[in-house]
This record gives sequence, structure tokens and C-alpha cells, in this order.
Amino acid sequence: MDIPVAFKAGNYAYPAKKEKVEYLNSQSGLSFPNAREWSPEDEDWKLPAGWQDIILRGLKERLEKFRSLKIFMDCCVRCGACADKCHFFLGTGDPKNMPVLRAELLRSVYRNDFTLAGKILGRMAGAREMTVGVLKEWFMYSYQCTECRRCSVFCPYGIDTAEVTMMIRELLHLVGVGINWILEPVSNSNRTGNHMGLQPHTFKNNVEFLVDDVENLTGVRPNVSFNRKGAEVLFITPSADVFAEPGLYTAMGYLILFEAIGLDYTWSTYASEGGNFGLFTSNETMKKLNAKMYAEAKRLGVKYIIGGECGHMWRVVHQYMDTMNGPADFLEVPKSPITGTVFSNAASTKMVHISEFTADLIKHGKLKLDKSRNSHLKATYHDSCNPARAMGLMDEPRYILDHVVDWVEMPENTIREQTFCCGSGTGLNTDEIMELRMRSGLPRANAVKYVRDKHGVNMLSCVCAIDRATLTSLMNYWNPDVGVCGISELVGNALVLEGETRGELDEGLRTLL
Amino acid sequence: MDLDEAFRNHGDKIVAKWVDYTLATYSSSGFFQRERDPFANPIGGNVREALGKLFPLLVRGVETSAMVPALEQLVSIRAVQEFTPSQAVAPLNAVKHITREVFAADRERRHFVAELYDFDFAVDLALLAAFDIYMKFRERLYKVRIDEIKSGSHILTDSRCPSKVASEEIQDLRLR
Repeated sequence: MDIPVAFKAGNYAYPAKKEKVEYLNSQSGLSFPNAREWSPEDEDWKLPAGWQDIILRGLKERLEKFRSLKIFMDCCVRCGACADKCHFFLGTGDPKNMPVLRAELLRSVYRNDFTLAGKILGRMAGAREMTVGVLKEWFMYSYQCTECRRCSVFCPYGIDTAEVTMMIRELLHLVGVGINWILEPVSNSNRTGNHMGLQPHTFKNNVEFLVDDVENLTGVRPNVSFNRKGAEVLFITPSADVFAEPGLYTAMGYLILFEAIGLDYTWSTYASEGGNFGLFTSNETMKKLNAKMYAEAKRLGVKYIIGGECGHMWRVVHQYMDTMNGPADFLEVPKSPITGTVFSNAASTKMVHISEFTADLIKHGKLKLDKSRNSHLKATYHDSCNPARAMGLMDEPRYILDHVVDWVEMPENTIREQTFCCGSGTGLNTDEIMELRMRSGLPRANAVKYVRDKHGVNMLSCVCAIDRATLTSLMNYWNPDVGVCGISELVGNALVLEGETRGELDEGLRTLL
Repeated sequence: MDLDEAFRNHGDKIVAKWVDYTLATYSSSGFFQRERDPFANPIGGNVREALGKLFPLLVRGVETSAMVPALEQLVSIRAVQEFTPSQAVAPLNAVKHITREVFAADRERRHFVAELYDFDFAVDLALLAAFDIYMKFRERLYKVRIDEIKSGSHILTDSRCPSKVASEEIQDLRLR
């Protein structure tokens, strides 16, 4: 812990731009002080006067506000069960990437200032003063954690180390230390409703381009609507699905599915983002960005929300939404209009996952599927961290895969609850840290390589938009002949639509006509 | 008793020491050396497998091209870790010294130390090939970065709002 961190090009993400921090700080309900130009490589980080007090006051406030934080600070016995479970540790061999030591970076300061033993015994009790060196360690290692929570699965006390990382990042924002790849999407989401900063007409145009594509490929033009009051369902998905490959094909899958069952649904150009980078920033920011989904559902008067293949959106919805903005009493418990199934698991959040919804349709025989349309693929399934560990979505995607494609599992200790992160979650999917991302993604890529070599797997499916972007880069480095797709793309490939005039599509929805 | 027999007799020991030496280049190497599940320990597993495959090839003195898969397995990992280029490939060279140490400790076989010219030469060729492979993976990494930037996700940062750009373009068209 006493070895100082050294920042050099490639091992840190770029700091947030001054104008983005200023903008966010000017917004109601948010606080992002100390906007300035700075670099982690500089000796002087231009911290505000009295920054130690700001951090310690911030920690005190959070210890009082979040009982979980207090427990996590006190109850670790340093058993080491988590130590070798982190993909950053496994890919780097850096001991400070052991979750226990990463948390110790905060815990040592907590001991020093908030425990009797620490105040009396100091370093003997593992206590450290808050110094610039400690702050720099916090920045280095809280941004070498993707909050994937694999370590928590193995902790006998159930310590959620991701929440420790969240608190460290939150404390760093109090003194103006944050990264641009997170704060710019946050600022875009606050301004236009989505990470990309797409304004309503552009968002609408992008979806309509996909409608054109589906019509060209299948002969059926999906019916879409935007901001339509009185629709039964509001559909919300990550904006990357309507903007960037390979998410586009997943979005085409949604359009085909909803057309096949004649769902009465609408897109929103305001709640045009499932992702919530507030989760990687501060609880106030997370709350604010989450609130827009429910505000929009209320404005449009829908009965409930269907959520697309997003990762951390589901963690926010399942673990935080209810106490931040819920319960969503003005909505109804989701009930499939096709099968009559009531999704009582979403009784409070009123938001059902597209895979749950699709699996239910298949279970009731409501979809005509032709698995041979995916015969160009041999798939495997990556459990995206948040849907798997934060909402327990593990069997529905597998049930869908069974019906639409030939697929195999990766080794047992790399799937389901034990799934390995893509290595680039929590806003670390930026290209200036590509080497770091490749090493943290090694455990996942290593398991994919195994099924590629053994079974000829050529497609890695998942249910997360960040995965779709980052696993593509990860595969391009480690396993260049393996593609990445969403589950709904495979559904869209296999779905037989009424009235279709579809020719042979050698590569499914990716076929260039 | 000949050199081949000496390699057969001590091969496992040499590879084990070589693997330990290579894994000791990581700052927290105990787990990498201890855990045998290749999915729980991808660095340890890949290093163990790659060096295990490479050693008999070095002993046989095969064409460099035959060594490439094992070298790639090792070097692709070290090319994205915090090693300088020379540090990334350096552990390959260590097998020369480890082999000498192991032979020298065996009274009956220590004279084979003087007969390692061909083996050393094979290691030299492997080391040279490893530099090429290191560069191949660095170049692949740069391409991954460029592909990602071109894929459109760079729009998140370092770019102007696409809606704003689009509306300006429409404005330009109208002015014409």
C-alpha cells in the first residue's frame, strides 16, 4: 500500500473536460465542483483548498447515510476469498487489484479517522492518513474496477466491493476528480436523454433507418411510434442499440419481435437511453438519470415498461430504483398481452426484461422460429455481469438460445453467477486504456477461446450494450474470428414473420443486400 | 545415456522451473503459480501450457514456424501487460540458464552442459520469433483501437453533437 502509483499514458482514463464538469455542476440536484484543466500525470492535481476535510466530511456523511457502507468498512476479516476472483487482478497480477486491497485503500482512511483503534494505534491498526498519495491510489484503482461484483459472490460476509468502489468514485467527485468517458455521457443524458447526445429527431431517424433495413431484408415493415400517449408499453433500450454496430442488429431484432406479436408499444425520444452512467458517478446522478424513465412512462400514460438488452440499467432498476424513485405506483404490474403471463418479479419496478418477455412468448408457442436461419452460427453465451448477478437473469437467455441457435456453454467457473466481466464496464470502455481493457478482459476471452477451439464457436452472445461494444474489441484482439451479438438479434434472425418475402440471408440480419 | 535422455529425464523439472520463473515476473505471483484451473487462473494456465508445448519443440530443434502457436499463446498476453518489449520476451531466454542449472545439479548428466549448442540456437530462434510476434500483437492492438474509434462509439467523446452537425448540414443545403 505504500508504493506510490505512477500514472503514464495508457494506464488511466482521460480526466473529465472542464466544460462538462461546469455544465453538470450547474444542473439542479447535481454537484460537480472544482472544474479545471488537469492531468493525472501532473504532480499537482489542483485540488481545492481544504480538500482533505471535504473528503473526510463526505465520508462521514456517507457512513451515516448508507448503513451498508459502514458494515462493509467494519466487517471484512481479510480472509482473502475475494482476492483471486477479480478479472483485473487475474489479468495484471497487481496486488492492489485484489478486491480486499482495493477496498483497503478506503478502509485504511476510515480506520484512521472514524475508529477508536485507528485513532489510538494508527498504522498498527491498518490506519492511514488521507494524503495526496492516497487520493491518487483511489483514482488509479477505483477506475480499475468495473463494479462487476464477481468478488462479492465469493465473500462469506456478502461485502459488495462494487459499492466500495462507487463510494470512492463519489468521494473523488467532491474534489473534482473524475473521467471524461463517464461525465460526458452523463452530461449528454442529462441534456438530451441519451449518452450519445442525440436529439429527438436524430434518435427517431436512426430507428427509422433500422425499420427500412428490416423491410429490405424481410419484406415486412415494422410499425413504430415515438412518444405516443396511451400506448400499452414504453420500450427503453441503450441508445447504442440504435446507433452503433453490432447493437443495431439487436435493435432490428426488437423491431421484428414486436412486429411479429403486434405489440402496442412506443419508443421515447426523451427516455432514449437505458444506460445510466450515474451508477458510476454518484447516487444523486444515478437517481436523476433513472427518474426520467419513470417520468416519461407517467407522461405517456403507459401501463408498464419493457427494457432492452442493457447491463447496468438492470442493476439500477432492481437494486436502487425502488428506494430512489419508486415505487412506481402509477404503473401496472407487467402482464404480457399475448400470453397473459403476469411478471410478478417486476411487481414493484413495473419493468420487465426483453429476455423474460421473449422466453415467455416461446414457452407459450407464440413465436414461429426457424432455427436453421442461424445455421451459420455456433454460439456461446456471456452472462452480462449486471443482469446475471444483480437481477438473477440466467435461465431466460439460455432458454431463448435453445430455441433459436446451436450453442454451447463456456466452462462452469466463468458463467452464471461466476461470469467474468468484459473488462470495460463502468465507463472504462474508452480507447486510451485499451491495453488495460485487454488484460482485464483476458479471463473472459480465455474462456471464449476454449469453446472456439473445442466446439468451433464463432459468435459470442450477450444481453448488454456495453458488452456488445467492448467484447467486439476484446474478441478482435484475443479471438479475431468470433463475433458478438445480442440475444434479440438471434431471435430476429430466426423469427418467421407473417407475409415475409425474405430471401436467403446467409448472415441473418447482417446480410448486405 | 545421451542428451535426449537427459532432456527426457529432466524435462518436467526444467519446464516447471521455467514456468515459475516466467510467472515470477508478475508482482503478485503466488496465486499464478499455485492455482491449476486454467479458467480461474488464465495467466498461469496459458504460461504453463505454452511453455510445456514449446520445450519439446526446442529440444527437437523444429522449424520456427512450428513454435509460433505456443509463442503466440505466451506473447499475446505479455504484449498488453506492463512490460517493456524486452521484458515481455525475456523469460524465453531463461530456459537456457535453467537447463544448465538442472543438468549441473545431476552428477551423471552434468557433462551435457557442454552439448547444448543446438538447444541454445533453437532458443535464440524462438526469441527472435517472439519479437516479431510481440509486434504483431501490438499492431493488432492498434488496429482494435482504430476499429473502435471508427465504429462510432467515439461520438461519446471528442466529437460534436451529431444532431447539431446534422442540423447545420441541413441549414447549409437550404442556403444553397
